[in-house]
Amino acid sequence: MNEVITVGMADFKTATAPVLLLTAGLGSCIGICVHDPFLKVGGMAHIMLPTANGSLGGNPAKYADTALELLLKEIASMGANRSRLRAKMAGGAQMFSFPGKPPVLKIGDRNAEAVEKELKKHGIPLLVADVGGSFGRTIHFNVGTGDLHIRTINHGEKVV
Amino acid sequence: MKITQFQLDALREIGNIGSGHAATALSTLLQRRIDMSVPEAWAVPFEQLSAIVGQLDTPQAVIYVKVEGEAPGKAVFFFPVESAEIVVQALFGTNEPMDLYTGEMAQSALKEVGNILVSSFIMALTQFSGIPLQPSVPALAVDMIGASLEAILLEEGVLEDTVLFIDTQLTGIPRIEGQFIFLPDDGSLKKLLGAMGV
Repeated sequence: MNEVITVGMADFKTATAPVLLLTAGLGSCIGICVHDPFLKVGGMAHIMLPTANGSLGGNPAKYADTALELLLKEIASMGANRSRLRAKMAGGAQMFSFPGKPPVLKIGDRNAEAVEKELKKHGIPLLVADVGGSFGRTIHFNVGTGDLHIRTINHGEKVV
Repeated sequence: MKITQFQLDALREIGNIGSGHAATALSTLLQRRIDMSVPEAWAVPFEQLSAIVGQLDTPQAVIYVKVEGEAPGKAVFFFPVESAEIVVQALFGTNEPMDLYTGEMAQSALKEVGNILVSSFIMALTQFSGIPLQPSVPALAVDMIGASLEAILLEEGVLEDTVLFIDTQLTGIPRIEGQFIFLPDDGSLKKLLGAMGV
């Protein structure tokens, strides 16, 4: 049995294999998973909003841009090489829609775009993006193998 | 705005009045006894949400109504799918299993329950504060509770470090449990408290 470490909302964790990082009940938020397949270290961030820019501030782990920076810094301090890093992400759903009203700001989509953009900026390939839809996701990330296990309540379960 | 203990007490009082009406409405609707906990008012970091709702990926039926008017906010009623099924069965007078995930009948029944609960809450609030408020059309999600709640709180793409809300538990006999929360938007609390002379 792998040790399981829980990543809360607006939180990030790093670990060395064999460890599973878990975040439960992702809605419009996104779980960003990054790992170095050679060193078998990795991390996960549970971000809630696209950017710290113009925000009310507070915890930097809330935002895609600042959370990714924190995550990468910590993974680097564990010896990981930036050029080997690989990323996967899941979440970014739109849980509610009001009849007759177009969804104004789809925060889930905006989150997914922001994560993609930030990863590109840091030159980290995004291997998997399981985003969108109107359902919640619970994810487990194996920092050793890079396997991302995605569970939903009524929309199946998969490993990507 | 910084929340004082005195304001939290006032908020709890708002909760008491509103939730009492909501519980009575639910009781009338289901023809069952519904008990209500003493409402709590919390000002907590969003990250601590799990302390209030328990396991974040438990399947729950969530009915979300926007409160519109001069003191806007968000009202959310949520209950575990098992309870939700019992509620729908009681409404339809049946013991048949209900498909809450895709069944249109069950889903519109749940929305209606939410609508009635929230409307009674809002009506009480309006009477008490003199501030006119109206409920939006209800929206429903039957899914992981954490996913639904975070989507509601983050809808506008901003999030203050502290989330303020009133939390009441409703318990019905037999085997119904639900939770009702009301989140005043930034600025609304001040208006509500001001109208009540706090």
